[in-house]
Amino acid sequence: MGTIYFDNAATSWPKPPEVLSAMADCLAEAGGNPGRSGHRLSIAAARLVEEARELLAGLFNAGDPSRIVFTHNATHALNLALYGLLRPGDHAVTTSVEHNSVMRPLRHLETQGVELTVVACRADGTLPLDEVRRALRPRTRLLATTHASNVLGTVMPIGELAAAAHAAGALYLVDASQTVGALPIDVELAGVDLLAFTGHKALLGPTGTGGLFIRPGLDVAPLLRGGTGSDSDRELQPGFHPDVHESGTLNVAGIAGLAAGVRFLREVGIDSVAAHERRLVAAFRQQAGNIPGLTVYGPDEATNRCGVVSFNLAGVSSSEVAQMLDDSFGILARAGLHCAPSAHRTAGTFPAGTVRFAFGWFNTEGEIDAAAAALAELASWAARKVAWTV
Amino acid sequence: MDGLITFFASHYALRAETVLKRGGLPAKLIAGPRDLSPNCGVALRFEYAQREHALALLDAQRVRIDGVHHFLPRTDGWRNAEAPEWRR
Repeated sequence: MGTIYFDNAATSWPKPPEVLSAMADCLAEAGGNPGRSGHRLSIAAARLVEEARELLAGLFNAGDPSRIVFTHNATHALNLALYGLLRPGDHAVTTSVEHNSVMRPLRHLETQGVELTVVACRADGTLPLDEVRRALRPRTRLLATTHASNVLGTVMPIGELAAAAHAAGALYLVDASQTVGALPIDVELAGVDLLAFTGHKALLGPTGTGGLFIRPGLDVAPLLRGGTGSDSDRELQPGFHPDVHESGTLNVAGIAGLAAGVRFLREVGIDSVAAHERRLVAAFRQQAGNIPGLTVYGPDEATNRCGVVSFNLAGVSSSEVAQMLDDSFGILARAGLHCAPSAHRTAGTFPAGTVRFAFGWFNTEGEIDAAAAALAELASWAARKVAWTV
Repeated sequence: MDGLITFFASHYALRAETVLKRGGLPAKLIAGPRDLSPNCGVALRFEYAQREHALALLDAQRVRIDGVHHFLPRTDGWRNAEAPEWRR
């Protein structure tokens, strides 16, 4: 039994071999601490970090690379943005399909005097734009939304949301954890003020990498303060990018791997990745439609989706389905609530959750066929099981 | 190379090196001289005679710099011809 990996929304696997070799090369040959010393190994490490920054700036058209700061993951980036911008008395708007990496900081900030409005999405995860416009007020400091739901795969219209936020005098923060590397993103064109990303999902880098794009001219208070290698005669945090948000030694080997992932994607083309994932989702949805007892959640429109699909099989819990897929078919999926209870409430799948398939560049249509066959087998077993227990 | 550019952060030093080299100007990263900058990282050596061109390239790429320095021949006693080039 081979392994069919459909958990790319949790973390992508496999990684391109270039990512592994870039990390090994970094540890073997660029072992210094970037930005601290002036010797060749420190410079070599700094070079890797700055190359990665430039590649990422190019990837989502961020212009000035210094406006991309590295973090340990998207959660760290989102906390930096939310705690760095929101103060007691501010109003913030978000959606009901957010991951807890957005929802938990916002719920905590709510206890600190930030007022929060959560705009309800439809059951398929689509966001009513009029409701967002109604929720925005003169006191609104920030609109924060995901770019795509990690449960339903629904893609948000970030250009229209940015325009709505700006029309109300608010800033717009995008959680692009599920989309950077899988869908084309142009922060300049969309008018996004802040964009949080992770390195270990569609960017194909290792865990422990991520970052935040902060539009030029926008100051965000740092989340962490400490050594940066710059302004070392002062005991106050430097105010300039990227050092203001990069205290402590960076994950250089991880960032080197991330850069290799971005280079790989540049060769492939993000449009090709997006088209590939769309094909896989369409193929799965089409085959799933013929399986009795299988309910697929999320929007019907293929253009409105990323490579994430949630479903349930009648009469069997999501965790049981995932366990049987792993044990009997070698298909690896994620069951449950996906760290997004509000998204499941929105879809009507709380507290039971769903089984989630998240496709990536390395998945094939043959794997979709195998998964559909496996689910058909489980469905027929479940139908008999239900009949027998009733 | 008799010119030296110091930076607020190593990020800019690294980018400056790339920008100058892409622009066909010689450039080399060195450990930032402690007496010129509190940045513990690196500074960039370049040809001082090309400073206008170099600074225009950096400005166009929005690379922030701290200062531009010129190494002049010294007339006091301790300098000697055996010293590293940039100390002469």
